[in-house]
Amino acid sequence: MRPRSLLLLGAGFTVWAMAFVALYAMLSVGCRFGWDDTALDMAGGLSLQRLQLIAIFLVHLAAGAAVVMLLRRRRGEGFLYPLAYFAAIAALGASVFSFAGVFFLSACQ
Amino acid sequence: MRERFRSGVLFRPICLLAGGLLLSACTGPLSALQPEGPAARGTGTLWWIMLFAGTAIFLAVAAVLMLAFVRPAWLRRFGETRLILWGGLVVPLVILSGLVTAALALGERVLVVGQGEALRIEAMARQWTWRFRYPGGYETDDLLHLPVGRDVDIVLTSADVIHSFWVPRLGGKLDAIPGHVNVIRLRADRPGTYGGVCAEYCGIGHAPMRFSVEAHEEDAFAQAVGLAAASDTAVGGEGAR
Repeated sequence: MRPRSLLLLGAGFTVWAMAFVALYAMLSVGCRFGWDDTALDMAGGLSLQRLQLIAIFLVHLAAGAAVVMLLRRRRGEGFLYPLAYFAAIAALGASVFSFAGVFFLSACQ
Repeated sequence: MRERFRSGVLFRPICLLAGGLLLSACTGPLSALQPEGPAARGTGTLWWIMLFAGTAIFLAVAAVLMLAFVRPAWLRRFGETRLILWGGLVVPLVILSGLVTAALALGERVLVVGQGEALRIEAMARQWTWRFRYPGGYETDDLLHLPVGRDVDIVLTSADVIHSFWVPRLGGKLDAIPGHVNVIRLRADRPGTYGGVCAEYCGIGHAPMRFSVEAHEEDAFAQAVGLAAASDTAVGGEGAR
């Protein structure tokens, strides 16, 4: 179980990094395909670009929250589990801090 | 003793010389600290905010460090947990939030190309030269003519590898990518000559891949790019000859 608990230390920030890569990549892809100009009526006039970025953000937020919930159950065990638990909380906070811009920043030029 | 005295004597002039050399880099045709347009001014403002905030953080950390040596009892009285909570979490979060807010607000203003009308100049980068094409079809190599006081969209692309277009005194940099078009909006407030560089390593000739930007008054601009005779173009205006 030791090696796994060591890996768990980075679990939260791995989700953060995946969100970063996914948002960065899909931002460029969306701008290239002109999704910023595609307004969706069923989404209250939001552009396809903003909608997909928000979706990526929310999926990763849910994944980060799931990591926190999983680690929460074992936060009393030994030294590494509580550490991994707090690291996951920090990663969740960092995700909101770094990526909340998908709601209000200009997506393309 | 004598050795130390000697090095002490040398210390001050060396510091002055090094400081002078360092500060001399703050000026010149490529200095982002001498902005001549709204986009560059935004970048400059952000730079100054970051500099002052960074200096303040450094001084605060240095002060706490000094306190740990000089008055360790004060820090002990403050408490370990509180020190970590405030010094490691609350204070950095407040500072970072402020800097991020400033960066995002300025980024929105500087990077986002508005809807307004602008003159379009095409820029084609290739190893290792820049070719600029003006509305009338006139072309210049490694020299970009701009009209003063007017928004200009530089439409960037590349013929071979990724290059990057950067005129530090007028705005930020933007990549010129083969098969893709990027647009950067610039505006020069005053007539003058500004320096431009390729800001993305693009091969052996990257470093000398420079260009000049000449900002002219409207009629001088029209003349420079061969628009003066064409009466049906928007450029030229009443100054057209």
